[in-house]
Amino acid sequence: TQSSGSSGINAEYGEEVNKQLETMGYNIGVRLIDDFLAHSPSVTRCSTLEEVAEVLCKQGFKMFLGIVPEVRNWSSAKDEFSLVITENPLAEYVELPPHCQDCLWYSNIICGVIRGALEMVQMDVKCSFVGDTLRGNDSTEIRIKFVKILEDSLPAGED
Amino acid sequence: AVVSTQSTGKDNCPLYVATDPTEDALKMHFLVHTSIDVIEEKLSSATAANDPRDLYLGQLYPNEDYRIYGYVTNTKIKIVVIETISNPLKDARQVFSQVHSAYISLVCNPFYSPGETITSQPFLQTVTALMRGKAIA
Repeated sequence: TQSSGSSGINAEYGEEVNKQLETMGYNIGVRLIDDFLAHSPSVTRCSTLEEVAEVLCKQGFKMFLGIVPEVRNWSSAKDEFSLVITENPLAEYVELPPHCQDCLWYSNIICGVIRGALEMVQMDVKCSFVGDTLRGNDSTEIRIKFVKILEDSLPAGED
Repeated sequence: AVVSTQSTGKDNCPLYVATDPTEDALKMHFLVHTSIDVIEEKLSSATAANDPRDLYLGQLYPNEDYRIYGYVTNTKIKIVVIETISNPLKDARQVFSQVHSAYISLVCNPFYSPGETITSQPFLQTVTALMRGKAIA
């Protein structure tokens, strides 16, 4: 029971940190999108989620992290896909200590960036990690799910 | 053959000690400890102009059974390697630069605070492999 107790605390701690990281990422993303679009004159409005995924990987990730993730695992409804990252520059040299091994998504800031950036172009997505080589998983994979197009309304509060 | 490796921080507390099981660990630890005095002496007497900052100190002092080599980084991390006379290292500098590289990778880990005892698996594996005489890629 002692170990399950401590893993309970770890899980809570992990959740808190993951949330914080996502929020930090969100705050970056809502600003980053303007920088991205300003430096990518060739990027036009995307009409499908596939196009979004392509621009995200080949231009967005390339510009800011220097890597191009692979787009995989499309859902049958084409509303969900995975980004698989082979070399994560954020995680270079990082070794997770044992208490973080099962609960922390070290690069969760990336999920926030994606969510924030896409929100500013009127796209509501859910974005989360499903695996991380830092945690011993086979691959570092982010799952992105399209929720809805945001109608032009008052901008969301940046809390 | 290398029988012991130790890394010490800038305030001379040990960060990492590894000793081949064939040798007496305490004795190795003692030898390393005394050799730190020798290192300090060399450091204070060497003029800054002469020596490159990554200092390979060479053999520290004579001993009938062992050779003791020292190396200090520009951040005052000292690495000491002890080997038996019978099977001398061809290139001690290589060993030191590999331990140093392993240390650099370790320090880049945001979860490691400099000065903490080293428990990182990759670092331990590198040093153990070096001690067994295997070349690191």
